[in-house]
Amino acid sequence: MPTTKVERSAKFVKTGFRIGGNYVKHYSKKLFNPNLSRDELNEDNARDIYNSLSQLKGSALKVAQMLSMDKNILPKAYINRFSQSQYNAPPLSGPLIIKTFTRSFGKPPEKIFDTFNLNSTQAASIGQVHEATLDGKKLAVKVQYPGVGDSISSDLKMVKPIAFKLLGMNEKELEIYIGEVEERLLEETDYELEVRSSIKFSKACRQLKNVVFPTYYPELSSSKIITMDWMEGMHLKEFLATNPSQKLKNKIGQALWDFYNFQQHELRAVHADPHPGNFLITPDEKLAVIDFGCIKELPEDFYTPFFGLIFPELMTNKDATIQAFRELQMIQASDSKKQVEFYYKAYKEMISLFASPYLRPTFDFSKPEFFEKLYAWGEKIAKMPEFKQPRGVKHFIYVNRTNFGLYTLLNELSATVKTNTFQPAFAN
Amino acid sequence: MANAEEIKNSYIDFVLTNGEPPKSVYNFAKKLKITEAAFYKLYGSFDAIEKAIWEDITIATILTIKEQEVWPQYTSREKMLSFFYSFLEMLKSKRSFIVYTLKKHPKRITTPDVLSGAKSEFLSFSEDVINEGLDSGELTDRKFFSKRYKDALWLQFGFIINFWMDDDSKDFEKSDEAVEKGINVAFDLFQRSPIDNLFEYGKFLTRNSKFKERMGI
Repeated sequence: MPTTKVERSAKFVKTGFRIGGNYVKHYSKKLFNPNLSRDELNEDNARDIYNSLSQLKGSALKVAQMLSMDKNILPKAYINRFSQSQYNAPPLSGPLIIKTFTRSFGKPPEKIFDTFNLNSTQAASIGQVHEATLDGKKLAVKVQYPGVGDSISSDLKMVKPIAFKLLGMNEKELEIYIGEVEERLLEETDYELEVRSSIKFSKACRQLKNVVFPTYYPELSSSKIITMDWMEGMHLKEFLATNPSQKLKNKIGQALWDFYNFQQHELRAVHADPHPGNFLITPDEKLAVIDFGCIKELPEDFYTPFFGLIFPELMTNKDATIQAFRELQMIQASDSKKQVEFYYKAYKEMISLFASPYLRPTFDFSKPEFFEKLYAWGEKIAKMPEFKQPRGVKHFIYVNRTNFGLYTLLNELSATVKTNTFQPAFAN
Repeated sequence: MANAEEIKNSYIDFVLTNGEPPKSVYNFAKKLKITEAAFYKLYGSFDAIEKAIWEDITIATILTIKEQEVWPQYTSREKMLSFFYSFLEMLKSKRSFIVYTLKKHPKRITTPDVLSGAKSEFLSFSEDVINEGLDSGELTDRKFFSKRYKDALWLQFGFIINFWMDDDSKDFEKSDEAVEKGINVAFDLFQRSPIDNLFEYGKFLTRNSKFKERMGI
C-alpha cells in the first residue's frame, strides 16, 4: 500500500508510462495489422490503470469507483476492470482506534460502550466499521481513517492527468467537473455533516414503504466517528445467492426505485452513492439504507429542464427540447446551426434511452437489451470527436451516477418496478 | 522549598516566555526563591532538567498505556503502536518546549544528549515488548538480527519525532499516519517474511550435493 504523497505520485507516474507503452505497442502492431481494433489497447490500459488504482485507498479508490459507475462514458473494457475496485484497505490498528475515541470523547471506547470489538467487521472507502453494544442495543460504529480529508485534493491532482488521458478530455474543460467531485468527496469526510444528513433524510423518507434506516446517535458521533444502530441483513450479492422469489426481488427493487425517486422529486436532494455496499436487505424483507455520506442537491435551474425532458410532450416539441438543452449547456451559445442539429439529435437519443423506464407505468430491468443499448450509445459517443470535450452542467456527474447506479442495481436484482410512483409535479 | 516538579515547570515557563534559558542557575534560583544549593540537590544543570522532562514523559507514557484494560490482549505490534500514540499525545501538551529542546541541538546522526534518558527507557520497554513477541511466535527470532530489532524501533522513534515536529496538519493527524504506517512496516519486517523462506531455500539448496556439483563447488 503506497503511503506518502510521493509514493502515490510515483505509482501514477508509473501508470502513465505503462499507458504510454501500451499506445506504442498498439501503434507498432497496427503498422503490421491495420485492422487491429482499439479493444485490445483499451483492455491493456484499463488493466494497468486498475492495477495502480487498486493499490491506492481513499479518494483515488473513490475516483476509480466513480469512473466505474459512469458506465455510459467508458468503453466496456474499462468497466469490467473498474467494477473490481471494491473497498480494500488495511484495517486501522486497535491503538489508533482508541486514540481517535480519546480525542473525540476524552475516553476510550470501552468506557463509552458496554462492549466494543476492536477488530473491525467491514471496511468502507474512507473508514471502517466496528461492532459495539450499549444498554442491550447492538450498534455499528464507523471510524474514519486519519488524514483522509488532507489527501483528497492531492490525490485528485494526481488522478487528473490519468483521467484526461483515459477520457481524452481537455484539462480546462474538465476542471469544473473535477471541482464538483472534489466538493462531494470532501463533504463525505465530514462525519458530523453525514450524521445530520442521515437524520434529516431518514426522517423525510420514513413514509416510504419497505425502506428502513438505522437510528443515528449524534451524542456518540464526532467528526471522525459515527454511531448508529446495527442493521441485520444481507448485501445484494448474498441476498441474490439465496435465490429469492421474483415477487421478493420486485418488492426490494420497488423500494429502491421509490427511495431514489422520492428524493429526486420530493426532496430535490439525493443519496448519490448507489453502491451495493450502502444497502442491506433485512430479514423482514425490507431495504435498509446505511450510508448517507454523499448527498447531491438538485437546484431548480437543473431539476426543471432535466426532468422536464423525460416526458414525451416535451420531447416531441423540438424548440422546447433545444431550449432545455441550452439551459443544461448541452447545446452551447457558440454552436453553429449544424452543431445544434447534431447535438439535438444525439442528446435526444440519449434522453429517450435514459427516460425509457419512466415512459411506461412499469419497467422490467432484467432485460439486457436496455443496458446494451445504453452501453452501445456510450461507446458510440466515446468514439465521436464531437464528444471529446465534455458538455452539460456539472450536476450531471452525480445525477447520472445516481440514476445509472440505480438502474444497474435494479438490473442485478432483475426487478420489475412501477415507475410512476413518484414523478415531478409538472408531469401530471 | 521547591520540589523537582516545581523547578521543571518554572524552567519550562521561563524558557517559553523568554525564548532562552535563564542566564545562570543563581539567577533562576533567586526567581524561585530557593538557594542555588537547593537547585543542585535536584538537578546538576539546566540541560539536566530538559533531559529529565523527556525521560519523565517517556516513563509516564509507558505507565499510562500499561494501565489500559486492553493492554494484556495487545500483540507486540499493538503495544508499540499504543506507545507512540500516547507518547505523541503527551508531547502535544508540552509541544512548544519539546520543539525548543530539539531545535537547539544541531541535527546530527547521533542521539542528542537531551534524549539519552528517554532513549534508555524506550529501549528497555522495546526489549520487553519484542521479547514477548518472540516468545509468543508473533515475531521471528533471527540470529544476530533479533537483538537489533529494538534499535530499529529507536530509529522509528527519531523519525516519528522529527515528522511530528514539522507536522502542521490539524491535530497532528499526519503524525498518526506516520506512526501507523512506520510501526507496521517495522513489525512486518520483524515477522516471518518471504526473505526468511528464501534464505531457508538457499540453505537447503547448498546442502544438496547435486546442486553443489552442478555449481562446481
